[in-house]
Amino acid sequence: MKSIHFVFVLLLIIAGITAYIFMAEQPPGATGLQHTSINGLSVGGDRGSQVSALGNAPYYFQVAVILLAGAMLYMGIAPHRRDAQLKLFFAVGLGFALFVWTMVYTGYEAYLATGESNIAFGFPVPTTWMLWGIWGSFVVFDLFYVVAFRRYFLPKEDEAAFDALVREIKSEQEAL
Amino acid sequence: MEEFRQPIILAFVALYMGICIWVGIWAMRRTKSASDFFVAGRGLGPVVVSLAVFSSTLSGFGFVGGPGLVYATGLSSIWMAVCSALGYATGFYLVAKRIRMVAEVRDTMSLPDVVYARYGSEAARLLTAGTILLGVLGYLATQILAMALVLQSILSATEMFADISLLACVVVSSAVLIFYCVTGGILASVYTDLVQGIVMILAGALVVITAANVFEGGFAEASSVLLTNDGADIMPFGTLGVMASLSWYFMFGLGLAGQPHVATKMMMNRNLSDNRVILPMTVFGYLIAAMLWISVGIVMRALVLGDVQLPIGSADQAAPVFLSTYAHPILAGVVFAGLFAAIMSTADGFLNIGAAAVTHDIPKAIRGRSLENELFWARVATIVLSIIAASIALLSDQLVALLGAFGWGTFAAALVPVVIIGLNWKGATARGAIVAISVSLLINFALQIWQVQIPYAMSGGFVSMLTSMILFIGVSLMEKPKPLPRDIDRIMEL
Repeated sequence: MKSIHFVFVLLLIIAGITAYIFMAEQPPGATGLQHTSINGLSVGGDRGSQVSALGNAPYYFQVAVILLAGAMLYMGIAPHRRDAQLKLFFAVGLGFALFVWTMVYTGYEAYLATGESNIAFGFPVPTTWMLWGIWGSFVVFDLFYVVAFRRYFLPKEDEAAFDALVREIKSEQEAL
Repeated sequence: MEEFRQPIILAFVALYMGICIWVGIWAMRRTKSASDFFVAGRGLGPVVVSLAVFSSTLSGFGFVGGPGLVYATGLSSIWMAVCSALGYATGFYLVAKRIRMVAEVRDTMSLPDVVYARYGSEAARLLTAGTILLGVLGYLATQILAMALVLQSILSATEMFADISLLACVVVSSAVLIFYCVTGGILASVYTDLVQGIVMILAGALVVITAANVFEGGFAEASSVLLTNDGADIMPFGTLGVMASLSWYFMFGLGLAGQPHVATKMMMNRNLSDNRVILPMTVFGYLIAAMLWISVGIVMRALVLGDVQLPIGSADQAAPVFLSTYAHPILAGVVFAGLFAAIMSTADGFLNIGAAAVTHDIPKAIRGRSLENELFWARVATIVLSIIAASIALLSDQLVALLGAFGWGTFAAALVPVVIIGLNWKGATARGAIVAISVSLLINFALQIWQVQIPYAMSGGFVSMLTSMILFIGVSLMEKPKPLPRDIDRIMEL
């Protein structure tokens, strides 16, 4: 399967989950309730009813989005440079992103079930996973860009090939 | 020092504006052609480009609207910020190299030029330019309004300017913006972005330290206060819930590289290999500056819910009230200058691409060539666009809201498939691009005009972006792609 077909299938899956969410009955206060005394401030309302109305659809939605992001990033590397090590990196990087997302979501579900959460690094545990983990899981791809720049993104021979193309075009323009 | 708070803030803002004017004069001497005006002759170093990319991404929203949203709805909106690492990865994996190569080979000056080079379609170029123009007017109107409101709040706190009107503030703040954009074009824009980026990083770092010290127990105590009062707000999805947060993640994470003011700056670096340095600097700069958004919002919400601070009039006052109550006057001065920096660094980028759309892209799409004496007309267009945007900001709230809808989501929906996917997939077709842009505009307009409420507070921009991506690939897959021009084909092989 080509990358673009994989991207297309993932987009259709995301669209399907979105359609399911659109059709699910929205419980009252699902998007927050106005605070009883403070103007302009909303509170959570019954979070549990929202989650139960949607089942695990949000979890799978984000799984598909993470895979879509990975598939799109993979498209940015020239097909003839996609070797086994690159595939391994993408598998590990996306695996890490999915692990982080699972920690965020299951931690949130645990909070909904118990109403309690420990504080770690200044925030409730699922929030810490979100703030640093969700951000960090794609910082891994940013770092890979820096480290593997000359191997996958702009190898010296590609740079030379581009310079040759520019020279070729300039000489053609001068000839005209 | 407390009695000098307002003069100190004013002095910092005045100093910042003075630097912008100086940069405008400096850049004017170096702007000799339309290429200099629109893409700085593709000769910028990595530090300038990275700060320009990050400061353009984080507008005044990150300094005022963002903390306000966290105050009002908890952490829902933070998904717009934590996706930045993905957003920049998308930009550099998929756009930065190819757009820079196309710019050099085809001597392009704008994103619509790149779209034309890729698809060979004047209709696609025209639609891209039209989308940019609509978005620019909307974004500019909101940024000018924000700039004037902030200036008014600073000046009206002094005795001398207690009754200053909003019109006067629009005129003063726009005059500075117009001056450096008209004189120095993109060169002034990116070098003021350099100053603005540094101010934003400084402001972000100092505010986080201040916010962490408001409660004795730091952010852990603020989190405990929120957990005991509501709880949902300090959890990962805030009070708006999981789907609102995730739809923002999709739109902002995958849509960042489709923002024309960001993508255009990826055409300006001197060397292709500079991208290796630009990406990490951009990610780091954004991270530090965006911490202001998170920390101020959380602390203000905890202060109000914990009965330490009286409720504030509106959510957008969260940052100004925090600064005036808890920040040292010098820090408040730096942050207010940072706020102007954030607003102006986005607005100047928009003015530049808007002027390019009017004087370069639309004439090229309609009559096959851009205007004669392009540099002169680019300067005229910059002034005219600013005046139109300022008039919209002052005269019509409804129009501001309508055009404001042509912001991030519309750019993402219209341009992500066409630019990001199109530059990385040879099978993409002009018809796919035209359908994707047209449908995304229609959906965004319709959602705004009919005030459609999307279930679970999901973003309208997400819906239109998802639809346009599916249509773009679907329509292209149904067609037999035309052979690409030789230069574009070879670039897409690299």
